[in-house]
Amino acid sequence: MGKLAGKKLILLGERDGVPGPAMEACFKDSGADIIFSATECFV
Amino acid sequence: MTRAAVKGTAYCLGYASELGYWYGNTPYTERVEHGESEFLKKLPGAAQSFAEASGYPPNLVFTGSMTIKELEACGQPWYENLRGGTRYGRYGEIMPEDEFIGLMDICDVFDLIWLERTFAESVRSKLERHPLLGGGQLNRLEAGHDAGEISAETDGAGALPLYFGGRVIGCCRKGHDIDHNLSAHVLLENLVCKAGGVLSLLHLIKNSGAAPEDIEFVIECSEEAVGDVNQRGGGNMAKAVAEIAGCVNSTGCDVRGFCAAPVDAIILASSLVAAGVRKNVAVVAGGSLQKLFMNSRDHVRKDLPALENCLGNFAALIVPQDGVNPEIRLDAVGSHTVGAGSSPQAITTALVYEPLQKIGLGFADIDKYAPELHIPEITMPAGAGNVPESNYKMIAALAVMKKQLEKSGIQGFILEHGLPGFAHTQGHIPSGVPFLGHAADAIRAGEMTRAMIIGKGSLFLGRLTNLADGLSFIVEKPEGAVSGASGGSSMTREDVKAAVLDALSELALSLRK
Repeated sequence: MGKLAGKKLILLGERDGVPGPAMEACFKDSGADIIFSATECFV
Repeated sequence: MTRAAVKGTAYCLGYASELGYWYGNTPYTERVEHGESEFLKKLPGAAQSFAEASGYPPNLVFTGSMTIKELEACGQPWYENLRGGTRYGRYGEIMPEDEFIGLMDICDVFDLIWLERTFAESVRSKLERHPLLGGGQLNRLEAGHDAGEISAETDGAGALPLYFGGRVIGCCRKGHDIDHNLSAHVLLENLVCKAGGVLSLLHLIKNSGAAPEDIEFVIECSEEAVGDVNQRGGGNMAKAVAEIAGCVNSTGCDVRGFCAAPVDAIILASSLVAAGVRKNVAVVAGGSLQKLFMNSRDHVRKDLPALENCLGNFAALIVPQDGVNPEIRLDAVGSHTVGAGSSPQAITTALVYEPLQKIGLGFADIDKYAPELHIPEITMPAGAGNVPESNYKMIAALAVMKKQLEKSGIQGFILEHGLPGFAHTQGHIPSGVPFLGHAADAIRAGEMTRAMIIGKGSLFLGRLTNLADGLSFIVEKPEGAVSGASGGSSMTREDVKAAVLDALSELALSLRK
């Protein structure tokens, strides 16, 4: 548990950068509550 | 197994500034939500003119009027270093907007496009001078309608006005009274895509030294959905394109996969050829009306030229290997599988490292990598970064992780194995395939051994999965002409297995005697 414990996270991913599911995997054990995660394509 | 090769390619741009201004998704949505806003007032003045677009270096590279080396030597911003305007290039052309609208009418078999009579006459005289349009196409161009007939269609009958030079010169009519899948807007998008596909297929036939009758199968790989309420996305834009191009011996099918579809389609076309099912398979895609001016809000806000007013279109002809044309390596296809993971590292591993491993190559054995080749001057002001460069950084970083490159060599690797982006933000069009023509030329000229074409598709945009997709293939010198780690071998693992089995069978037979 780190400084994100108890926080609510909104994750906005980008296909050619870091997609949402990849960020979700990173924050899975952070103790944070992922309330929204999405990947968008800007090209 | 027969091997598949790239016999020809075609790349065309359809200048479509007024179509984009009215029906590109960004300005269209702005108009619906905010009316004639400041952005919409400024956009026409910010857009490149046809003369500017036909001298814009990335466009010249796309159509084959300029080499990639020349683009790399060209000072940036490229929009301030325009060259002499050239309509026709080695691979295709940049077609003026009035002629493109005329081509849409040629492609319309349901009397959806109506052209005002004087415009129709004007465009006919221009298209009659087009080097690739024959009677089969020109006879399809309508004589035109009175302006009053057109305004009756646009004022309450569901038709969308078409503009040229700031005035209404025609309309696109709806295909059904209540089915929104056949609304004028959807049909306009589909006809734009079809016309771009036809234009590229005609150039492909010429570039390949083929006749229309030689084309046996067309795979269309755009992002449009063709169909009505009962079969939205029913498809076969391919056969519709083949019909107008005069490919009477062809049938076809569509492949969809967002921006990855062209790479999918070339792999499938090559597989059909390699299996002996088809010869002369044309892969074709027209452009996307919706994506015109997609990032223009940022361009206008930053007082930059709005460059996204060209439709991108391409075609490639896949044939059985003849020892001359560049070969598609079907034994080294990259696939971003369902279980591969979504991190950039996992994606690059699946698309680049794993296919190289399959045939015993290293990262440096690929002369040039071609991921999404978006023009950076379009994407960077909109916050989407330099897309090809981001991909090259990831490939180089993976090469470092795999101990095939020193960390200090990353920048050099990017310069040596990367490409500048020169394709418009047309979704499926930039996805690696714009380099196929340049790569094929360089391979035929002995200046390059192999290139990797990489496509990625944003499947999550369809709201059925959170996954993205990706595919890659390697194009290289034909068998026998390749030196290096794997290319010198003329036998695949399957060939060796078959030879061993044959030998064992013969041995068994001889022992029985």
